[in-house]
Amino acid sequence: MVEIKNLTKQYGQITAVNNISFTANKNEILGFLGPNGAGKSTTMNMIVGYLPPTSGQILIDGMSMNENPKEVKKKIGYLPELPPLYLDMKVIEYLKFVAGIKEVPKSEREHQVARALSRLKITDMRKRVIKNLSKGYRQRVGFAQALIGDPQVLILDEPTVGLDPNQTMEVRNLINMLRKDHTIIFSSHILQEVSAVCDRIVIIDKGQIKAVDTKENLTGAAEGDIVYILKVEGECKSVEAVLKKISGIKNIMEVNYVDEKTSEFKIELEAEDVRKEIISEMLENDMSIIEIKKMTMSLEDVFASYTRGRSYSGLATEEIDDDKK
Amino acid sequence: MFALFKKEVQSYFYSPLAYVISALFVLIYSLSFITWITSLEKLNLQFSFAAIFYDQFFYFIFLIPMLTMKTFAEERRANTEVLLMSTPLNVFKIVMGKFLAIGLVFFMIMALTFLYPLITTMYGEVRWGSLICGYLGFFLWGMGCVAVGMLVSSFTENQIIAAIFGEAAMLLLFFMDGFSQIQWMQNKPVLSSLLSAVSPKVRFEGFATGVFRLSDMVFYILFITVFLAWTMISVEKRRWNRG
Ligand SMILES: Nc1ncnc2c1ncn2[C@@H]1O[C@H](COP(=O)(O)OP(=O)(O)OP(=O)(O)O)[C@@H](O)[C@H]1O
Ligand SMILES: [Mg+2]
Repeated sequence: MVEIKNLTKQYGQITAVNNISFTANKNEILGFLGPNGAGKSTTMNMIVGYLPPTSGQILIDGMSMNENPKEVKKKIGYLPELPPLYLDMKVIEYLKFVAGIKEVPKSEREHQVARALSRLKITDMRKRVIKNLSKGYRQRVGFAQALIGDPQVLILDEPTVGLDPNQTMEVRNLINMLRKDHTIIFSSHILQEVSAVCDRIVIIDKGQIKAVDTKENLTGAAEGDIVYILKVEGECKSVEAVLKKISGIKNIMEVNYVDEKTSEFKIELEAEDVRKEIISEMLENDMSIIEIKKMTMSLEDVFASYTRGRSYSGLATEEIDDDKK
Repeated sequence: MFALFKKEVQSYFYSPLAYVISALFVLIYSLSFITWITSLEKLNLQFSFAAIFYDQFFYFIFLIPMLTMKTFAEERRANTEVLLMSTPLNVFKIVMGKFLAIGLVFFMIMALTFLYPLITTMYGEVRWGSLICGYLGFFLWGMGCVAVGMLVSSFTENQIIAAIFGEAAMLLLFFMDGFSQIQWMQNKPVLSSLLSAVSPKVRFEGFATGVFRLSDMVFYILFITVFLAWTMISVEKRRWNRG
């Protein structure tokens, strides 16, 4: 449905998007994951035809924006990073205006506006002036705007930013509800969010694609890992020595010096029950465990695994040696 | 495009701006109307509404950048430009929709002053032909200024800057024929005649004195077209240069 081929965007000297290609299939939710400044918004602005690409091609339903801008634009609903609102307007006026510029047939306007209002649960707010709405509600009005015109493709740039947890859940549910007849590309820098709703995920960093994979493979690679945070009373170096002896520990990812007597480790285990072994080893060596908790994988970890690799490099020993010198 | 037109017209009435501008406009008009009337008896002159336009245009054109300053600057600042650009509207429709909307607002403000000729008919005689001619010229010149103001607004994200540079552009247009008269210019006849040929004020004289010339009208239409086209290019170019 949305095909992107060798897309590049340069702002003067800066290459914001560097030769990326990916495809979003029909009725699929594609997550667009990346840290700040990765080029997510730039890519989305190009897909909707606002920013002209430096080079490369974007096909929506097999059509390119250059050949048939009007038809292509009618197929797309866009929620930009900052919702494009006219603050002086009332919510309902605004949505009717959007229906007008999107050339929704007159007979359908009323219906579409009402549906968008109810989908975003802002029907009660329809008579309010947008200026007086809270950030979360403004975000929802922006989302409602994207649904007007009944587009097949929805491009949502961080749709849940600024929403409270309840509203975030509601928006995710809405995206889930829309999935059956929409192709959705939505960006975020929160892995949980993307993995909760997306079928496939594109990871982008510094304008380049790091990985394109299904949710299962990608988060499986990350979430299948068993990662624990272990806080122990004992000197870094000696605790590490003990940990290194335990064969069930795949990899020591991070060593943090807390104070003289306490240290914190981020470790990856081969299996859940290696935990028991760790606990007993610690007891044997007279080191008491302050805390042991399971980590949910963060975006950084996924990135780390796609960009840096995951091997252990014996940080602690070297660091402590440095301190002594 | 009609939806955009409607929204633009409405937007002038959400804020006090349109009311303030029309109040100022009518005030200036009234003042000069009164001045003329009271001096009529002394001078035994014929009274002409068009003469008021000519006399007061200097003040009028300074109100126009206030109407045009927000057209593109505000769209860009509020990030609503991306909404317009990602809908089936194209740049031509966006610029025309906005231009026509300001045209309507300008027309409404101008229509307020029509009250005076109406009152005058009750007590005296109005020469409708020259009156309409004057109004037509005034409207055309006004719309030319609107096109220039929109172009200036498309250069910036800041309304105030758009207003200030808009005023500067108005001044330039207003004094253009003045420049062509100065000594230095007189030595360069080609430049001088060129300057006065493209000066919108010179073209207005005909309308103001009740003489309708097709060439003057064509001049204004061309003038408007050139500046609107330039605005479209400028808006499109911004899109290429920004993010
Ligand atoms: N108008 C611009 N001019 C110059 N550089 C720009 C412009 N817009 C964006 N950039 C640069 O392009 C890169 C990508 O920006 P972009 O806004 O696409 O990131 P993003 O992935 O959306 O980040 P975020 O999560 O913060 O929204 C950044 O390095 C940014 O500084
Ligand atoms: Mg962004």
